[in-house]
Amino acid sequence: MKRITIIILTCLLTSIAAMAQNGLNINRLFDGRYKKAAGATEIIVTGAQAREIGLTVYHSLSVTDKSQANLVEALVVKDGAQAVDKEVEYRNGQLYYGFYTMKKSKHDNRYIFYLNQNLARKSPQNIVTLIYMEGLANQDEIKKLIRK
Amino acid sequence: MNKRLNISSQAELEQLINRYFDGETTVQDEQALRETLADCPWSSDVIDEARFTMGYFAAHRNEQQRVAKKTNHRQIIGIAASIAIILAIGGYALWHQQQSNDVCIAYVNGNVVDDNDKVMALIANDMSKMDNAANAMTHQLSSLGEALELDNE
Repeated sequence: MKRITIIILTCLLTSIAAMAQNGLNINRLFDGRYKKAAGATEIIVTGAQAREIGLTVYHSLSVTDKSQANLVEALVVKDGAQAVDKEVEYRNGQLYYGFYTMKKSKHDNRYIFYLNQNLARKSPQNIVTLIYMEGLANQDEIKKLIRK
Repeated sequence: MNKRLNISSQAELEQLINRYFDGETTVQDEQALRETLADCPWSSDVIDEARFTMGYFAAHRNEQQRVAKKTNHRQIIGIAASIAIILAIGGYALWHQQQSNDVCIAYVNGNVVDDNDKVMALIANDMSKMDNAANAMTHQLSSLGEALELDNE
């Protein structure tokens, strides 16, 4: 019985470890806190629908609350420091646009997009958008995807 | 080939029993002794004691074998149960992963949007915004490049 308990515990711990998130700071934002928040839009697409756009995971968040926007920027910048490739634009000392290629997660490439429309020159809007994408698509394919 | 001992009298049997208890018998002697004790009609204190002792040991050995067999069965059942539990957990995890894999949902101002087309339209909107920003950056870079070129002419 003792042996069985040990085997079960080992299996459970292995599963938990396998299911653990991929170590990005932005994952803190995807803990469900925005699902019921006014002024926030969270989109989660995985599986068949994600495959339709060449991804395995699409997770995005748009917030209008300024304090939340600052948190999003801070976490994106933190992850951006670990990126293997990045395209960023700062305006007035604030991150306006960021496209980060992160380290692979197993087989999948991982990308983070960030946009602060408050800093847009044409018709600025009080919206900060964060997109996390995961899939086999390379950088060019991701750029093509956003141009569609 | 080992020569099989032939016990033809009670005296011979008692002699063999004494040798057995003195530890002077061979494996073949003990085999012959066991068979003779099981079959022969002779009876005496020595023979009965030997019958009891050897019968006891046989019974004890059988008991040990029975316990060992039972333990083996328990181990096999334990291992089978463990495998079944692992398979069940693995199956559940796989099923759960499959279930959680097919997600297409949006939360807009606290409202759930689970219509795939609407969710995909929201994604298209997100991507369009990113594209505009990326284009703006590219445009800015190319303008900068052009300005530098003009400046160098």
